[in-house]
This record gives sequence, C-alpha cells and structure tokens, in this order.
Amino acid sequence: MITIIKFIFCFFIIGNSVLADANTKVAYELYEELRCLVCQNQSLLESNAPLALDLKKVVMDKIELGQSKGEIKKFLVDRYGEFILLKPKYSMQNILLWLGPILFLFIGFFVTFVFLRKQSMYKAEQLPLTKEEENSLKKILDNNVS
Amino acid sequence: MIIELGHFLLALALSLSIFQFLVPVLGVKFNSDSMMKSTSIIAFMSFILVLFSFLSLVYAYITSDFSVSLVTKNSHSLKPLLYKISGVWGNHEGSLLLWVLILTFYSAAVAILGRRLPLKLLSLVLSCQGLIAAAFISFILFTSNPFVRVFFPNAEGEGFNPILQDFGLAIHPPFLYLGYVGLSVTFSFSIAALLVGKVDTIWVKWVRPWTLIAWVFLTIGIALGSWWAYRELGWGGWWFWDPVENASFMPWLAATALLHSSIVAEKRDTLKAWTILLAIIAFSFCLLGTFIVRSGVLVSVHAFASDPSRGLYILLLLVFFTGGGLALFAKRAPYLKSGSLFKPLSREGALVINNIIFTSAAATVLLGTLYPIFIDAINNSKVSVGPPYFEAVFIPLMVPAILLCAFSPMLSWKRAIIDNIIERIIAVFICALFLASLIIIIHGGSASAFLGLFLAFWLICGTLYEFFIKVGIKSSFKTFIQRALNLPRSAYGMSVAHIGVAIFIIGVTVSSAWRIDIEKPIILGEKIIVKDIELTFKDIKKVEGPNWNADRGEFEIITSNGAKYFLYPERRFYPASQVNTSEPAIMSGIFSDLYIVLGESLKEEDSYAFRIYYSPFISWIWFGILLMAMGGILSLSDRKHRLGYGLKQV
Amino acid sequence: MKNKLKYFYSYIPLIIFFILVLFFARQLILKEDPSELPSVLIDEKFPSIALSELPGYKVFSNKNLINANGPSLVNIWSSWCVPCKIEHEYLMSMSNNIIIYGINYKDNKEDALKVLELNGNPFYAIGADRDGMQSINLGVYGVPETFIIDREGNIRYRHVGPILEYDMEKIILPIINKIKQERL
Repeated sequence: MITIIKFIFCFFIIGNSVLADANTKVAYELYEELRCLVCQNQSLLESNAPLALDLKKVVMDKIELGQSKGEIKKFLVDRYGEFILLKPKYSMQNILLWLGPILFLFIGFFVTFVFLRKQSMYKAEQLPLTKEEENSLKKILDNNVS
Repeated sequence: MIIELGHFLLALALSLSIFQFLVPVLGVKFNSDSMMKSTSIIAFMSFILVLFSFLSLVYAYITSDFSVSLVTKNSHSLKPLLYKISGVWGNHEGSLLLWVLILTFYSAAVAILGRRLPLKLLSLVLSCQGLIAAAFISFILFTSNPFVRVFFPNAEGEGFNPILQDFGLAIHPPFLYLGYVGLSVTFSFSIAALLVGKVDTIWVKWVRPWTLIAWVFLTIGIALGSWWAYRELGWGGWWFWDPVENASFMPWLAATALLHSSIVAEKRDTLKAWTILLAIIAFSFCLLGTFIVRSGVLVSVHAFASDPSRGLYILLLLVFFTGGGLALFAKRAPYLKSGSLFKPLSREGALVINNIIFTSAAATVLLGTLYPIFIDAINNSKVSVGPPYFEAVFIPLMVPAILLCAFSPMLSWKRAIIDNIIERIIAVFICALFLASLIIIIHGGSASAFLGLFLAFWLICGTLYEFFIKVGIKSSFKTFIQRALNLPRSAYGMSVAHIGVAIFIIGVTVSSAWRIDIEKPIILGEKIIVKDIELTFKDIKKVEGPNWNADRGEFEIITSNGAKYFLYPERRFYPASQVNTSEPAIMSGIFSDLYIVLGESLKEEDSYAFRIYYSPFISWIWFGILLMAMGGILSLSDRKHRLGYGLKQV
Repeated sequence: MKNKLKYFYSYIPLIIFFILVLFFARQLILKEDPSELPSVLIDEKFPSIALSELPGYKVFSNKNLINANGPSLVNIWSSWCVPCKIEHEYLMSMSNNIIIYGINYKDNKEDALKVLELNGNPFYAIGADRDGMQSINLGVYGVPETFIIDREGNIRYRHVGPILEYDMEKIILPIINKIKQERL
C-alpha cells in the first residue's frame, strides 16, 4: 500500500518552464540515466517526487557550471551509490552484464553449429535436388539429347 | 454461504486434479485404456468445479460482501460494477484463482478437442496439466485463500486504488493469463513427448496451434498493459523495462522462438528437441514471472503485495516444474530421433538463426532483470539496471532478426539458391534505403531514426515483395486474384504479422525521434502552439465523479485544418483513499497523439503547471502489435491448423 | 567418449537453472527490502555540511562530531513527516544516554519549533537544511533517516525509516554499545 501511495505521489507536478537549449538537452539526457530513489521505477526525467526535483536542480546547476556528465554522475554515485545509475557503469564488476548478450549469441551459434555438424556426420543423407536444380538438370539432359 | 461453497468446490477441485494427475500415470503403467480414457472426464469436471468456485468469488465482489476479507481489502461499495468485477483478479489471491480457472479451462479444451489424439499422449498431457493445477490450487488453499472471512466487516470496504480503475488494466490480466497458461499446454505436451519417448508429426501438428493461441493472447495482454500505462501514468511513456513488464516479455520472446521453431518441426520434422526445450523454457519464464511479481525479490511498483513466504512456495513450484522438466529433457532428449538435414542457407537455417536471436534476447532480458540479485549476492553491492541498459543492448540484438525476417520467407526449405535471393535482397535494400532517406530528408532526423525507418521499410518491402512473388506478379490479374485467394491463411498470417512488426517499429521510431515535450506553467487564457496545433487554456472548474472530485481543465485545440476539439485533463482526488491522481487528456489520432497533463495550481493567479507531449505516430505502436496478433489469429484459422486435422487419416 | 559428451550437453539448461535457483533462494532467505539502499558513506567521515540555525536551539555542525566523547546519532526529520512523529518517543528515550543531533529537513521554522515544543526535544543540537541540498551530501533519500557516528566522526550505520522499539533494541543500541567498547 505504501508503495502504491508513493507511486501516486510521484504525479505531483511542480513543473518549471522548459525551453529547448543545449544545457537542457544534456540535462534531459542525464535525467534519463538517473534513477528516482523515491519512485524507484522512474527516472529523474519522469519523476516529480520532491527528491527528484532537488536532484534535477543539482544536476542542472552543475551542468551550468560546466561539469561533465561523468563528473556529475560521480558526484551522485559518491553519495547514493551505483544504484542511482539506471545505466550500469562500464566496470569490471559489470562486465558480464554488458558482454552477456553478445556471449549468448556466440554460444547460441556455436552450439547450433556443433550440433548440426554432428548430425550431418552421423547421417550420410543425400539432399534431393530442389526444383530449380531439377529444371536446370532437365535442360542439360535435353540439350545432350538433341 | 456462497463463499463457503466456493471454498469447498475449490478443495474438491484439488482432489480431482490430483486424480487427474495420478489416474493416467497409473493407466499408462498398467496399460489400462479405461483409466486413460477417464482422464478427460476428470479434467472437464475439474474445470466445472473451479468455474463455480470462481463465480462464487465474483458474486461476493458484485454484491460487495465485505465479510469476505479479500472483498473488504480490495473493493469498495462505490466502485463501478465493471471495476468490482475486475477487482476479483486485481489482487494476489483472486488473480491466482483466475489463473487456475484458465488452466483447468485449457485442460478441458485439450481433453475435448484432443479426443482423437493417441490415448497415451493425451492422458500424459492431461496428467501434467492436472499436476500443475494441483500445485497451484494447493498454493491458493494453503497460502493465498481468497475465501477467508473477516469478523468485523468494514461497511464501505477499504480497497480503492484509483489507478487500477481503468478499462485497459481491468482486462489486461485475463489476456495475459490466457497467454501464460496457454504455454502450460505446450509444456505439458513436451513433458508427455519426453515420457513417451518420441516426437511424431501428430505431436507437432498439435503443438503449433496451442502455441499460436498462447502467443496471440500474450501479445494482446502485453499490448494492453503497455497501452494502459501510456494512458494512465502521465509521462507519455509506454514501456519501462520494469521487472514485472520484463516478466511478461520474456515468455513472449520464448514463445515467439517456440512458434518459429515449431514451424520447422512441423514442416521438416527436425529441431524437435529444441522445440521441446523451448516449450519448457517458455512456461518456466511464466512461472519465473509469477515468482518475480509476487515474491518481492525485485523492486517493482506493479508487484502485488509481496511476501517472501509466498515467494518460497512459488520458488518450490518453479524448482519442481522447471527443474523436473529440464531434468526429464536432459535424460530423454538425446534419445529422440533427429530429423532431416538442411543446409545453413535455407528456410530452416534462417529460422534457426531467428531462434538463436530470440532466445538470446530472452536471456538478455533475464540477465538485466536479475543482475541486481546476482551482484548483491556476489559483491554485496547495490546496482540497478534500467531502460538505458535494455535499450542499448536489446535493439542491436533485434536488428539482425528484423533484417532476416524480411527475406527468410523467400528462402526455400532444405537448400536455398543464393542467386535469386541476392537479387531480391538488393531490390528490397534499395527500396527501403530510398524511402527511409526520403523521410529523413523531408523531416530531418537522427541516425537512429534513420535506422528505425530503414528497418521498418525493409520489412514492409520484403514482406510485400515475397507476397507478390508467391502470388505471381507477372501473370494476369485473374490468375493473381485466384492464387491470392488460394494462398493458405497461414501465409497471410505470417505476412500480416510481419507487417505488424514493421508498423510497430515505425511507431516506436517516429514517436521517440520526433516527440515534443513541453513542461511549463500556463495561465488561464494563454495560447500555446505545438507543431501546427493551437492549444488554448480556456477554463478550469471543479467537477465531481462517482467516487472522486477533481479540477478539470478545458483546452481548446485547433488543428492545422481548422478542426476544433476540446480536451479535459483532470487532477482527481479520491476521498476514500485520500489520493491524488492525474488523468491525462489524450487526443489520439492515427498520426499523432496530443497528451496534456494537469498539475498543481501555482502561486500566480490562475496559473497551473502543465506537461504537454506531442507524440507522432505513437498509436502505430499498438496498431502494429494488434496486427501481429491478427496475423496470429489468421494463421490459427487456417484449416491445416484446425485441431484434429490430419488425425482422420491416422 | 564423444557419445557421452552429447548426452552431457542436454544437462546444461538444468545446471544453469539450479544456479539461478540458488540466487533466488538467497534473496528470499535474506528477506531484504529491495528498495532499501545501504549508505555508501559507511566508514567514511561525516561529510561537511552547512546548516542554518533554529532560533532558541544550539546549532549542529561538523564541529560537534570532531573528537567527540562517544558515539552519537544524527537524525534527519521534518514536521510534515508522519513516521518522524512515531519515532519521536524513542528518540526521547534514547536522548538520556546518547547524544542525538537533529537535521531539520526542508521545513519551515515555525512548524519545526512547534513540534519540538509540543513533543519535547531529544536533540543536543539542531541544524536546519532548508532546501534539502545539504542532506544530499549525506545521501539522504527520505525522511526519517538516522546516522550512527563514532568518536572520530565516521559514519558507522544509516538507518532508513523510523526507529521503533525493535530497531532501537536490536539495531541501534547494539551498534552504539559496540562503538563504546572500542578503544576504551
């Protein structure tokens, strides 16, 4: 129940004026990569929880001071831990996470390849001709005959 | 009284399910035909019992019988009737009962429709279903009983989450469960096949339609959930890679792989072991999803009231069924006769690649969803994996699948000739490149927008090209029509579904690439221009609804062709639960959605905070998914897939 | 030998599954709330913060934590926070034995003062963080939260949520006692 109330709470809108400009763009990109810690299933961009608004302000201030995305993220991670990052860091700890998908593909292809090879080794089956091959064979034979 | 009757019927259904499991097993062991035949009757009776048990709960909700604990907690006398009914499954206990109802329904359906299946196979399938039913009914009766009474009933009821009172959300669970539980049928078939020791054409002909049914329902169920989230949650998003959403997406990915694998199994009598494994995995993902949603192991807002002790029980179910299934597979699969061969460049080859990609995708979603648990156990640190990860990883994975999708229908079975294919690929490539470039040049867009459009057009052009080749462009118009009508429905089903995917991709690409997002305070009377649409904040007044009161804003919308519309975003207050919600006003069109969210009133007079989203082509996301489902339904209606087709010859 | 390998492959899905189950079982047995975050500042010096004064009360600053005589608590609270009201009595009971500092979070002076007047003051010193920015340095993500600080001014533990009887007896006091026994 509390979770649900928190969730509904996150719809409080206390908006600010937003115009498209370079800083705002960077800010929005960062907001999308940071987790709201109150409504933990939203990013800072989507959330209107009080803490989210505070953190958005912190991020925006730092962008205007000229800090880079990396520096701002480090600032937040130093205080809140890696949990605040929606995009996990590229670190040795997360290596399985980021390489996992490619690994799965490779393993999938490898296993399939091995199995199909094995199958064809145990079975000496002759693949019959496809329709096109039959037609061209017919043509050749016809040519030979005539 | 009715509730107690419902409780009793459910307990009876438990005994019957245990019989449904035991009788065929004994029948097979002792070679008793009569025992095996009686399984069907048991399955049907089991369904009737659960049906009435479920109806008794529905009755309690409709009559607002607050002496039933579940009704008190989750319903309210002021709730509209539709939501009283949907409240039956809007909670942990009731939703499990719905699950079991659908399970017994499918079992009964298999029993009736499968009259002409080999007796041994049918009995084992029903036996497995019975075991699953018994497991879940006992889970309900022992830990999550919906029929419990409360001694001091609340006159009004406490339960009232306003967010849950929405049509989309009301029907989303039934569709989802019809999908999940449908996968239990393919699971049972796989277990039965492993036990019997062989996988023949009859088996495959049977598995494909059930997979399709489950897949169609799952597709629709996920679409409904996503559509609901878009309309209700107020930030214009439709998919958040939340653990509960992923819990429904993983079975879908596995089911899609299963669907394509079963095509190969049916047509070419090969990949049977893989199909069986996929069927086991797909259902396991469903069980896993149930575990994630109800155990509280992962952070998610959608989750039912989570309870680690319930989680333990579900984990045991998971271990028993998935572990058992995989163990049986491990032991028996190597002995299944392998089927015919094929060269890598062939329809089978392409479908195998499709399978690898979809299975990798499912594994990737699983990895991302469970990664926080892994890291917490290994490193004791808290890491979170959110949309940026999934988007970065999932989309590249799907790109080759989509590329393949367009021309693999052009590949012939067993062995495809490369020359014709290359011609066609080049044609489709040029076409897609041209169309995508055209749009980017006219509207301007990023590289990712271009890629999305290119993929969509690639898919559309490829699918249409293949269709016209099959039907024969070069012949006369009359032949064309004749051949088109003679084309099997499953061929249409495939083309429609694939085009649905392309439409979906267009929806996703365009709505994210060309979206306009405005967040600002607006004063009464102020006019804003978004794209070529004029919005004027005309009025705001207080309104009252059946169980809420609200601030309702009025916006006058004038589109580019002068048409006038009105939108009424609301900010509602539900006194029963003391909660504020935002009802966004959405003007949905084929080509764009205008989405207005009303916020708080601000310090300046008559000034309110607003969020306005202009999302072009966002409806195409759901059109596309619906088209996919329709393609599936078309395929289902194919005579060849009629359950029982081909059995007459047996 | 090659034949046996073929039969082994089919066991791989089962093995992977069992590894997954082990992870799940661990999570269930631990019964942690997945939404609760551990502080990353554990065993680090309490960050420097600048708090404003609450009239009539000693102001809390980092100076209080340097070379302290013993462990202390830093409690983040507000007048609008309902669980804070519930934990107040437990703070009062602990204030006789432990020094408790307060950080008044995103509150206005009048409301905060009223709460202390009506319910009593468990705090040795209080600072006000008007806009919540200082608390961000502490990694605060909700109210109430309580930090346990040792003699050297290092954070030893962060408690999320109100301190109720169970928390007080089974979590907070044991840690305090442990700190007291260090380097006696």
